[in-house]
Amino acid sequence: MKLNKSIYRILLLVFFLGFTMFVRLSGQPVPGKDENIPFLVTFGKDGKTSWGDADFYQIFFFSILKDYTKPLYIRVFDPDCGGEWDEIQGEFDTKTKFSVYGGKGVDPEKNEESRGLLKGKANYKSGNLLASKIFGNEAKYDNKYYTFGPFNPSEGDFNTKWNSYMFKIVCEGISGDDGNLYKYFLSSDPDNNVPIEGANAFTYSYHFRMWNDFKSVSHIYPYIDTGIVYIRQSNFDWDNDGNILVVSRYKQGINVPISDEDNWVKSNIPIEPQEVGSSLDFQFHKRQDELVKNNNVVITLENQRGDAVKFFSSPIGGVPAYQGKIGIEKVKPKK
Amino acid sequence: MRKKILYIIAIVLVTALKTRAQQPSVYDVKKMSFNIDGFNNISPVIVKSGIIFCSDRRFSAFRDRTSYDGRRLYNIYLAVKRDTSGFSKPIELTSERSNKFNNGPLCLAPDGKTVYFTSEVETGKMAENKKFRNHSGIFIAELKGLELVSVHPFKYNDPQFDVGQPSISKDGKYIFFSSDMPGGHGGSDLYYCESIKGEWSAPVNLGSKVNSSASENYPFMHPSGRLYFTSDRPGGFGKLDVYYTSLNNGSWEDPVLLPEPINSTSDDFAFVAEPDLQNGYFASNRRNEDDIYKFTSTIIRKASCDTLEENNYCYRFFEENAVKQDTVPFRYEWKFGDGNHATGPLVEHCFNGPGTYTVQLDVVNLVTKEITYNEKSETVVVTEIEQPYISAPDRIAADQKITLNADSTNLPGWKISRYYWNFGDETIAVGKEVPKSYLKPGTYNIQLIVSAEPDPGGKAKEACISKNIIVFPKP
Repeated sequence: MKLNKSIYRILLLVFFLGFTMFVRLSGQPVPGKDENIPFLVTFGKDGKTSWGDADFYQIFFFSILKDYTKPLYIRVFDPDCGGEWDEIQGEFDTKTKFSVYGGKGVDPEKNEESRGLLKGKANYKSGNLLASKIFGNEAKYDNKYYTFGPFNPSEGDFNTKWNSYMFKIVCEGISGDDGNLYKYFLSSDPDNNVPIEGANAFTYSYHFRMWNDFKSVSHIYPYIDTGIVYIRQSNFDWDNDGNILVVSRYKQGINVPISDEDNWVKSNIPIEPQEVGSSLDFQFHKRQDELVKNNNVVITLENQRGDAVKFFSSPIGGVPAYQGKIGIEKVKPKK
Repeated sequence: MRKKILYIIAIVLVTALKTRAQQPSVYDVKKMSFNIDGFNNISPVIVKSGIIFCSDRRFSAFRDRTSYDGRRLYNIYLAVKRDTSGFSKPIELTSERSNKFNNGPLCLAPDGKTVYFTSEVETGKMAENKKFRNHSGIFIAELKGLELVSVHPFKYNDPQFDVGQPSISKDGKYIFFSSDMPGGHGGSDLYYCESIKGEWSAPVNLGSKVNSSASENYPFMHPSGRLYFTSDRPGGFGKLDVYYTSLNNGSWEDPVLLPEPINSTSDDFAFVAEPDLQNGYFASNRRNEDDIYKFTSTIIRKASCDTLEENNYCYRFFEENAVKQDTVPFRYEWKFGDGNHATGPLVEHCFNGPGTYTVQLDVVNLVTKEITYNEKSETVVVTEIEQPYISAPDRIAADQKITLNADSTNLPGWKISRYYWNFGDETIAVGKEVPKSYLKPGTYNIQLIVSAEPDPGGKAKEACISKNIIVFPKP
């Protein structure tokens, strides 16, 4: 029994060290550097879903390694809805609420409600509310960072598997119909973006803005956990804007069907056994014949059991690069 | 001028001898030890304990056994095989007919105890008349120890003609024999009867393919279904020769003459063989009197012999991950390193011959239109298969003359000393290039056995390859 516990601890340590090593160099901008996504987007609750937001809120989780004991800050870039980046519908009249949660109930692996994917009475605001602020059309926050914190890491919800404290930030469009475009940065400094070593960010439902040019390609990196045989992707309101290619070390590019205006499209993507324990690269290539501007989209993934799959801002295992392989077999000559 | 002609004849003879020497004999023959000089020994029968045969040897050291007309009588003997080699001194199998009548040839039924033997039909007073011409018939008896008991005649014996030399099929359903009964093709012919509800049916003549205007005798139905027999028909080596035939779709095939040294210019007859045809016995008067000889096949046939593989330079190339998907937004462009190219996630290409080729895969992303040149490349070394090689057609007609050769044999490092061909029809040849024709339609498995010169340690490598050839009837 003691031996089993020791082995378990060693395995846990190995997993933890491996995980830490993968993310150590990445930092915690959200969207991540490798994702090349211009902005996250949340519309006011009076907006139309056809504008690219299916539910008018977005949830992100931050994980901070137990070893980190200094204060942490969650910085929001351009939290207001107005001015340079945001999407106006008539006039800017939207209020957006950012809320930071910690403590019990935040960890989405222990509390499924926290993921924000369950509809109806599900409480995605679970956990202790640590800080909250509502932003309207306020020039003083336009194109600038607003900093939540300081937070003590131990205020998070501890996850033993990852040896990390979990924090959650919820962005809600509580009124109005404009689109708030924003970004996050998990920082150890209140005034500058200073990454916290070993931290990462993830979500289960990605709401973001596509680039307004033909060439830029955005990415998201879902992590394929043990036991996944296939994943089911759902994308919303893609406006037929180009192609989604799924790439991994073993996939050169699988074309995923994309949605048009105000619609969900779902499809299954088979997972090779060798892909387990690494990230997939969902590439979003813009339509080339006609520029689709200000395209806001949503994408979620679930595994064959219906469990949501995480997207990490810093891809676990790094950005997957396809490794082509030529197969050669002798065949009988055709007569 | 005469000298010149003699020289040409000498050259022709030497060349002919050389050609013959190329084709070794397929059988070794050896006179059996139980033959006695000065007496005749014929009609061997293979039994579990040894050989049963017929002989007109003396009854004792001083006394001949003679028939009523003064001729020495044939009787039946058993030579028991010793554990080591050789046979014991033959002992007589006696019956109520011994000492009075000729007995033998014979055969044993599958039960191992019922004996069908040839003897003389008339046993009454008439038979004692020196001028009486007694006819042979088949008699059935039970072998009890060294005695043939309960002797009774075969129902188709007839005092007007000869019936004899029986042979029974391995399932006991058919009896073959020779007879000069009326209605034949000339001389004695071969007949068979079928056992129906324990009774032998009326004799059926084997027909004109087997029976000729000459005499056919000594049938021996081998377990393989081949019927061996003796005939003095024209076209043999001389006098009596041994032939075989087989039943094919209800018809007997053209008889095949057995090669030398089983057949000779003398009388060669009464052939029997073990089930595997590797050993057997026959009678011959090649040394003036009838003696029994053993033959042993010297034909080499490997139990384990690889099947010839045609050299094949064709390959399938595929992008391993792409072929798992129904569709992929990529175009795969292959360059095979020999100037040829193809497009697709899975392509096939045949190179012209052996060589080293660099196969390159360029990939066009149909979404981004980007081209990745030489995304992956592989070196393909195309070689010929290391094997002896039989160059021969797959199908030929019966009697068609073909030449087989081993020129394309690919055994690097071998100093080949011999090419041995087993044509699958109990004929062989030696040489890199050999002529061949098949008499009968069928499928034959040719084996080419290649031997290398022994290495300094005295070990000689050997490789065997086989190929089927289909022989169809003459058009």
